[in-house]
Amino acid sequence: MADLPIKTTLAPADQAELAAAVAEAYGVGSAIYPIGGGTSLDFGLPAKTPGSGLSLAGLNRIVDYPARDMTVTVESGVTMKSLSDLLAKEGQRLPLGVPLAEKATVGGMVATNWNGPMRYGCGTVRDYVIGISAVDGRGMAFKGGGRVVKNVAGYDFCKLLTGSLGTLGIVTQVTFKVRPLLEQFTLMACAVQSTRQAEKLLAALVNSATTPAAIELLSGPVWDAEPALKTLAGASGPEKLYLVVGLEGSATEVEWMIGRMHDEWCQQGVEAPITIGDAADFWKKLVDFPTVGNAPLVLKASVVPSGVTRFIDALRALDPQASIQSHAGNGIVIARLSTFPKEGLSRALVGNLQPAAALQHGSLMVLSNPSGNEMTHQSAWGGLDAPFTLMSAVKQKFDPKNILNPGRFVYV
Amino acid sequence: MRPSINPLVSGGGRTYNCAMPSLASIVTQLRQALEAENVLSAQSEMLVYECDGFTIEKNSPDIVVFPRNTEDVSRIVKICSAAGVPFLPRGAGTSLAGGCLPVGGGVMIVLTRMKEIVEINLRDRYAIVQPGVVNVWLTNALKGTGYHYAPDPSSQGACTIGGNVATNSGGPHTLKYGVTVNHVLGVEAVLADGRIVRIGGPAEDPLGLDLAGAIVGSEGTLAIVTKVWVRLTRNPQGYRTMLGVFESCDDATNAISEIIAAGIVPAALEMMDQGILVAVEAAFHFGFPLDAQAILLIEVDGLEAGLDEQRDKIIALCKKCNAREVRQAVGDKERQKLWKARKQAFGAIGRLSPSYCTQDGVVPRTQIPHILRKITEIAARYELRVVNVFHAGDGNIHPILLFDERDAAQVQRVLVASNEILNECLNCGGSVTGEHGIGVEKIHFMHKMFTGSDLAAMGNLRAAFNPLGNLSPKKLLPTAGSCGLEQKHPGRRAAL
Repeated sequence: MADLPIKTTLAPADQAELAAAVAEAYGVGSAIYPIGGGTSLDFGLPAKTPGSGLSLAGLNRIVDYPARDMTVTVESGVTMKSLSDLLAKEGQRLPLGVPLAEKATVGGMVATNWNGPMRYGCGTVRDYVIGISAVDGRGMAFKGGGRVVKNVAGYDFCKLLTGSLGTLGIVTQVTFKVRPLLEQFTLMACAVQSTRQAEKLLAALVNSATTPAAIELLSGPVWDAEPALKTLAGASGPEKLYLVVGLEGSATEVEWMIGRMHDEWCQQGVEAPITIGDAADFWKKLVDFPTVGNAPLVLKASVVPSGVTRFIDALRALDPQASIQSHAGNGIVIARLSTFPKEGLSRALVGNLQPAAALQHGSLMVLSNPSGNEMTHQSAWGGLDAPFTLMSAVKQKFDPKNILNPGRFVYV
Repeated sequence: MRPSINPLVSGGGRTYNCAMPSLASIVTQLRQALEAENVLSAQSEMLVYECDGFTIEKNSPDIVVFPRNTEDVSRIVKICSAAGVPFLPRGAGTSLAGGCLPVGGGVMIVLTRMKEIVEINLRDRYAIVQPGVVNVWLTNALKGTGYHYAPDPSSQGACTIGGNVATNSGGPHTLKYGVTVNHVLGVEAVLADGRIVRIGGPAEDPLGLDLAGAIVGSEGTLAIVTKVWVRLTRNPQGYRTMLGVFESCDDATNAISEIIAAGIVPAALEMMDQGILVAVEAAFHFGFPLDAQAILLIEVDGLEAGLDEQRDKIIALCKKCNAREVRQAVGDKERQKLWKARKQAFGAIGRLSPSYCTQDGVVPRTQIPHILRKITEIAARYELRVVNVFHAGDGNIHPILLFDERDAAQVQRVLVASNEILNECLNCGGSVTGEHGIGVEKIHFMHKMFTGSDLAAMGNLRAAFNPLGNLSPKKLLPTAGSCGLEQKHPGRRAAL
């Protein structure tokens, strides 16, 4: 985990104290680094400007949970685990799949726009945040949205702040719409011979009669060693991949989908697909993959879904031992590299993987680089054609002295 | 003849500044930049453009232009920007809150000639459309592919996708599938200085801030969207469409609350009360029971394997709430007919009253029984007739206040009653608009929903995109010392 350049960490007890702390920092132009569960401090560029940490641990209240309205309002320091436990008591859930849920907080998840494997069937953070409160870089508290599921009054700060890494405002409170827990969840898996076969299967899944909640394409040593996938027959060798689909719904629906998926796969020439016995255990591994282990470099690419396998080819050419997880239905590819690129980060990313992602209409970012080596704006954020100038204009209005998480995000 | 074009002005009036370039000179520049037939400037040609579906306030633009592509829009904006005149985009003009009212006149950029579906990509589940594409055209283009574009506002036969993006449109099926913003992957837009930017695209999770998310629903005040990447949704395998018939509004609204609380997510859950039923039945002859006090139109969709189970649960919950009967639509034809009746309900109101006005408040879903009772009470107190047809599953009410605009006293009562209804929505923890937008119509509510610092933050966002404020001025946010246009007349308004 990256260290922040901080000597002290402030711990406000509520939004008013937080706003006062930011206002004071604004007065002297001193940097503030918001800290939730500390699970994503590697996210973005390493922080360099000295300043203070600002812990959200004190903002951990459940503000309102009218379960029958299917909304919940919580402060941003609440952990994802305690939120999901709370919702589960009412038979509800926020199906976002955040790793290290015991530590990860609501604020951190929203700030990093963290989305797990369930995004194919259930959508992403921005689909669930219906109200948000934050404190801007002057110490001014502001909010957007509200507590009702449909609302178009005013500008949509829920979208603007989701994924902004706390650089426009420190998120203090969030209202989510929630969903019912479903009766049954299962995972089916099959082995795949090559990326070429994988694309055929993925393209067919788009038109499947089933409605998967997750479509995961996996490859590399982490998955080769995975007990849940051990029994898979039909493929071998270094090119081997695994296709895993998550199916959820009522017992009747899931039962129907298992049969149907089995038939569809067999028609596509898949040998002996399996239903994973301990779905919950394997699911946790899928959710946690990007954040566990000691990979020297973790990357995330977002490409069009049809470009996933070609991007995986590019990754494997760079690092044949990389462990790869793709939320393939959404075009997301996450790679834990086995070694830090010998040719240097710049060559590997700017010279190789960023163009490979661009060729598939997407972009690449660094999720984690514990060494901090060669982390330039271009290597961390790439994508020169992204409208970073416009984003910087927005940043300037919300944080005129650039004190909120300075130097870590996309601004130019 | 007008001596010069309007600079930025306050309110709906006009002031003229001799330092501004003359109208004729701007027209000349625009005619050079576009083809001459794409520029209108005769006063008689402006009438159509003086308002949208919100007809209370009217103001003519000085010039109307019809760009054919993004570069045209950029050129137009640069000319307007250099001349310091206000300009704003317009789609089909079906919006209901005055989002395309040309406050201060200026140049109206009508995007209806940018109407190409640029690409449909089923493998990657997206389509690229120009802003002038009518919502239903995309639906029609996707027929037979197994995919659809989910947002389905009731005006979908006329409204454009560019307009849907501007207002973040909803529709009956947004209960399960989400509103426009949940289906927009990216936009190409022209900024207030004429720069062309692309934000997002066919891939998810673009780097940096979600500016596309901020532009959707900004009512044309942040940028002019010239291309949209929309997500396509797989068609469900099957539907069960039901009609729950209730003896009282309370029973119907309780059933809504029970269905949502039971963890069922219907694709749509709509309510019509007796007042509107009578009009809809007279127009469409569906066979609605005219003696019922309320009906619920409930649709579940998804895998065939699970639909009967969901249907049975819904029927049981309706029965528990004293439903007289729950009918199921038989076959797709009957389903389509039911939806047609619902979506065109507003067209039938002419049978009830010479004029009407609808509101677009939202309440937490458990508060629907309360707000409906409150609406009845307010209507009685002001001696008004109110009928209801709305997106019950979302808590998005559309009370329709009926009146005769020749009766000035009644008109005043409609205004006061409308305000009371919206205030009650806010008291319940809701919003004054679920899908129609703030526009100019509801600016005076913004300070009730938001604090001064909330509004200041919104002003900061606008300033980053639109620093001179000449892109669609005086919309959405109250300006200092003003609460927007004062409403004197409720006019005739449709709803979604």
